[in-house]
Amino acid sequence: MTLVAERLFMSFGGLLALDGVSLTVPDGGVVGLIGTNGAGKSTVLKAVSGLLRPHRGEIRLRGRPIHHLPAHAVLAAGVAHCPEGRRLFAGMTVEENLRLGGHLRRDRHVAKDMARVYDLFPVLGERRTQRAGLFSGGEQQMLAIGRALMARPALLMFDEPTMGLSPIMIRRILDTIALLRNQGTTILMVEQNALAALMLADHGYVIDLGRTTMSGPGTDLLADPRVRAAYLG
Amino acid sequence: MTSSFVRDRPVTEAPSRREPRPAWRSAPGAALVLLGALSPWASAVIPGGAYPGLATLQFFDAPYLVTGFRLHLLLLGLAALLPRASRAAGAGAAVIALVHIAFLAALGVLSFGGPVTLAGGALLIWLGRREPAPEWKLPSRALAWPILVAAFAALLWAVSAMLTAGGQSRATNPHGGAEFLSFLGFAVGLFGILSAYGVLSWLSALAERHRAFSLTVLLACAMLLPLTEAGTGYWMTVASTIGIYAATAIGLNIVVGLAGLLDLGYVAFLGIGAFTAANLAHVVSFPVAALAGAVVAGLLGVVVGAPTLRVRGDYLAIVTLAFGEIFFRAAQNDIGGLTGGANSIPGIPPITLFGQGFDQPVGGLPAGFLYYALTVLLVAGTMAVLANLKHSRTGRAWLAIREDEDVARAMGVRTGRAKILAFLVGATLAGLAGAVFAHKLGTVGYESFDFSESVTLLAAVILGGMGTVPGALVGASLLFVLPEKLREFSDYRLMLFGLALILIMRFRPKGLVSS
Ligand SMILES: Nc1ncnc2c1ncn2[C@@H]1O[C@H](COP(=O)(O)OP(=O)(O)O)[C@@H](O)[C@H]1O
Ligand SMILES: [Mg+2]
Repeated sequence: MTLVAERLFMSFGGLLALDGVSLTVPDGGVVGLIGTNGAGKSTVLKAVSGLLRPHRGEIRLRGRPIHHLPAHAVLAAGVAHCPEGRRLFAGMTVEENLRLGGHLRRDRHVAKDMARVYDLFPVLGERRTQRAGLFSGGEQQMLAIGRALMARPALLMFDEPTMGLSPIMIRRILDTIALLRNQGTTILMVEQNALAALMLADHGYVIDLGRTTMSGPGTDLLADPRVRAAYLG
Repeated sequence: MTSSFVRDRPVTEAPSRREPRPAWRSAPGAALVLLGALSPWASAVIPGGAYPGLATLQFFDAPYLVTGFRLHLLLLGLAALLPRASRAAGAGAAVIALVHIAFLAALGVLSFGGPVTLAGGALLIWLGRREPAPEWKLPSRALAWPILVAAFAALLWAVSAMLTAGGQSRATNPHGGAEFLSFLGFAVGLFGILSAYGVLSWLSALAERHRAFSLTVLLACAMLLPLTEAGTGYWMTVASTIGIYAATAIGLNIVVGLAGLLDLGYVAFLGIGAFTAANLAHVVSFPVAALAGAVVAGLLGVVVGAPTLRVRGDYLAIVTLAFGEIFFRAAQNDIGGLTGGANSIPGIPPITLFGQGFDQPVGGLPAGFLYYALTVLLVAGTMAVLANLKHSRTGRAWLAIREDEDVARAMGVRTGRAKILAFLVGATLAGLAGAVFAHKLGTVGYESFDFSESVTLLAAVILGGMGTVPGALVGASLLFVLPEKLREFSDYRLMLFGLALILIMRFRPKGLVSS
C-alpha cells in the first residue's frame, strides 16, 4: 500500500470536519474521493500532506507513519499536493513555479524533469518565461500539475483538478492524469465531478460530513443507484 | 554575431486603426514653453540676490544670458518637437514651472513666464503621442563597452549635478530649494524622453549583457564622484550619509521586498548597530566594532522574528511597530546605561585604519572622501547580497512566501526558517550600516531612530521598487537628499513624502525602478 489513512479526526473550532475517515491507496492505483461541497475532501488531502495536523488517527506512507511530520518532511517522504483552485505563484514565471515544485530536491536531474514537464505540456515550454498569472485556467492547471510532478512524488494528490475548466480542458486534464497513471504514478484524486473521478479511478470513496459512507471499485460506484442519485444527478 | 539578438519589433506591420497624431500637434505647446523660457519670470527684483538665471526684471539687461532653469526649459521646449518626446518634455516643463510659480508666489512676486510655460507643458502632455517605446538592436562588444562607459559617465554627471543643484544651504543661496526641485523637474523630463525612445531599456539590456564590465565601471564611477563638482568635504559628507541610509534601505528591501514581511520598526536595527559600535568604540578597532554591531543586530533580528512567525500581514506590522517603539523608549531612557539617554553617546572617535583617520583628507581628495568610499563599498556590498539572494533558492522561497504562504509550505518551503533568515539578514545589514553611522557622526542619540525614520526607509523601498536591486538606492537617495535640500520645508517633510508616494502608486505602481 502506498498510503493508508486510518480513522482521521479533525475539527475546526467546534466543527467536526473529519469524523473518522479511513482510506487506502494501493501502489500504482488511482483512487477517487468524491463528495459534496464541504464534505471534508480537501481536509483529508491537507491532513495527508501535513498542511493540517489531524487530532486523531494515523497516516502511513509505505508503512511509515507520516501524520506527525511537518509539510516539508511529508513532501520529502514522497507526497505531492496539487491544491484546490491551482494556487500558482501568479507573479512568477512558469519556470520559477516549476523550480519551486522541486524546491526540496538537491539532485542533478531537476532540469531533466523540467524538460519532461515541457514535453507533457508543450504550451508551458513555449511560454516558460511568462508569468503564470497571465495563463488561462486550463494552462494554469497544467502548470499546477507540472509543479507537483517536479517533486518526483511517490503519491500525487489532486484537489479538484477540473474545477472551473471548459469541457475541452477537462478532457485534456483527465487524459493527462490517465497518462500519468499508465506511467505507473500512484494518484489520489478529489473531485466534485463524480463521473470524471469514478471513470478514471480504480477505487472510489464517497465521503459525507467527514465520514466514509461508501467505497468500492470505480465502476461499481458508478453503477450504484444511491451514488447516481446523489452525485450524478 | 549580433543578428541573433535582434528582437522582434512591436507589431509595426499591422496597420494601426488610429492614425498617429501628426507631429505638428506638439508645436503649440513647445512654442509656449520656449516663449515662457525667454520671458521675465518675476515682476520685481527679488530680495536676496538675483533669482536663478536672472528671472527677474534684471533679465532685460541681459536677455540672452540664458542659464539655469531657463536653459533647461529651452532644451525641453526644443526636445518637445520630437514626436515621442513631447509628453515627457511637457511634464518636465510643467514641474519646473510649478516649482517656480510656487516659490515666487511665496515671495509675493508674480510670474509671467511661469503660467505661460505651465500652459505649454500641459498642452504637450495633453496632445502628446503616447505609444510603446521602440526596441533597439544591441551593439557588438567593441561598441558596447565605450557606450556603457559613456552612459555611466553621464550618470555620474547627473548624480553630481543632482547632488549639488541649488547649492549647500539657505545661507549661501536663498533660492536653493527652488533650484533643486527645478533641476529635479528637468531630470524627470530628461529621463522620460530617454525612456520614451527606448534608450533606458536598451542601456539596461546592454548593461545586463555585459554585467561584470558594467558593475566595474559603475563602481569606478561612484569612486570618481569626488572629482566632480560634488568633490567638497560638505558633499562627501552628505553623500556618505545618504549611502548609509541607502544600505539600510537595501537591507529592508530584503525583508519587505523579497520576503514580503512588513517591518515597521526596522530603524531599530540601525540603532542597535550604532549603539553597539559606540559602546565598543574606545575598546576595539572599527572592523571589530562593526562586526559586533552587525552580529548583535542580527541576533536581535532573530529574537524579534521568532515570535512574529505566527502572525501575518497587518499583525506582523503591528508587532514590529511595537518593537521599534520599545527600542526607541528604551534608548530614550537609557535602560541598561548603553545609550546615553537624552545626552546621547558623544565623542565616538572617527574610524582609523592603518594610521589614517577617516575624517582627514587623503592626497588631493576632499576630507570625508574615505567615509564616502566606505559607504560606496557598503552599498555595493549590500546590493550584492540582495542580488545574490534574490536569484538563489532562498530568494525563490521568500518570493513564494510573499505570494502564497500556504502553497509555499506545500512546496516544501520551511516558512518559519525562511522568515527568520530574512529578519536575520536584514537586521545584520542594518547593524553594519549603524556601526558606520556611529563613527561617521561621532555621536549617537536615540532621536535618530524614531518611527518616522522607519517610515522613510519603507517609503524609499516602495518608491524605488520593491524587491528590485537598484530600487532602494534610488528611493533612499531621493528621500534623504530632499530634506537636506529643502530645509525650509522640513515641517512638511512627511506630507511631501506622502504626496510623492501617492503619485508614484498612481503612475508607477511598481516603483521608479521596476523589473
Ligand atoms: N480552515 C478552516 N477553518 C474552519 N473551517 C474549515 C476550514 N477548512 C475547512 N473547514 C470546514 O470543514 C469542512 C470541510 O471542508 P473541506 O475539506 O474544504 O470540504 P470539501 O473540500 O469537501 O469541499 C467544511 O464545513 C468547511 O467549512
Ligand atoms: Mg475542497
